Amino acid sequence: MLAKYYRSFKHDLDQRGIIFSFSGYLSEEILYSLGNALRQKMTLEDANVSTVKKVFSVFVEQAQNIIRYSADKLSGDGSKSIELSSGMVTIGTENDHFFIVCANVVLAADEPRLRERLERLRSMDRDAIKAYYKEQLREAPEEQSKGATIGLIEIARRASEPIEFDFDPIDADKFFFCMKVSI
Amino acid sequence: MENLRITATERSPEVDFDFAAGRLRLKGESYPEDASAVFGPIFAALESFLASAPQGREVLFEFDLTYFNSSSAKALMNMFQVLDHAASGGRTITVNWFFAPDDDTMKEFGEDFSEDLEHVAFNLVAVEPAD
Repeated sequence: MLAKYYRSFKHDLDQRGIIFSFSGYLSEEILYSLGNALRQKMTLEDANVSTVKKVFSVFVEQAQNIIRYSADKLSGDGSKSIELSSGMVTIGTENDHFFIVCANVVLAADEPRLRERLERLRSMDRDAIKAYYKEQLREAPEEQSKGATIGLIEIARRASEPIEFDFDPIDADKFFFCMKVSI
Repeated sequence: MENLRITATERSPEVDFDFAAGRLRLKGESYPEDASAVFGPIFAALESFLASAPQGREVLFEFDLTYFNSSSAKALMNMFQVLDHAASGGRTITVNWFFAPDDDTMKEFGEDFSEDLEHVAFNLVAVEPAD
């Protein structure tokens, strides 16, 4: 039963074109290792340099967003500055394109601003996104936002289609946020 | 002034600032968790070097980066603003921005940064990776 159960689980992932999927507590070390595995796999399969770079870049920005902003965090007892953020990162291929999906819990209070930023990026064409990126590079960082805006613009810049996103309410205070980027 | 040499880590670039020779270099990848922790000391050294550099001082800054995240891009933008300001004050600053010929992303970043520079001589240099 055990093998059958997990074979079916893996088969389901394979059917969805998933190369790998990470769910759980994410750290910068995990980001580094997953990112390297991703680049090696793509390089072995002769993906072109630009594509590898775009996928890697979106992966890094998404994973760092989870590490910084996930509302589901585990902190140490205070003696160590360890903090782990929970979320999910999934990378796969469909219709000859790579896709990267990230998901994490966000506070309801943060939802309107995040939605507004993503809606704004969705309404922009390539040139507008590029101009917006440059404008934000020159700006001082926003309060409370260790660089979220520029990270989202970087993701939009590497995407071949507008970013898809959705919020699923968990309770009065939290949403499950999900974002999908195609390269 | 003391040279600044910092070995690359998994997610931060190699720093090789030879102030006596006026040759500064950043090499590798940059996607640290905290960009300000990585770039803070680099900035401090660069600003104090430029502040003490006399008029006409020639400085070559080589950027040999293969990937950086968005918060590092912001730090690089600040660095270019500092360099351009120093160049407007009479130092002769040249930037060489290296990129692999098939790497459109790094080439485009070089073009983006160079658009804002008025006093720094900026060269986009295509080079085949060594390995």
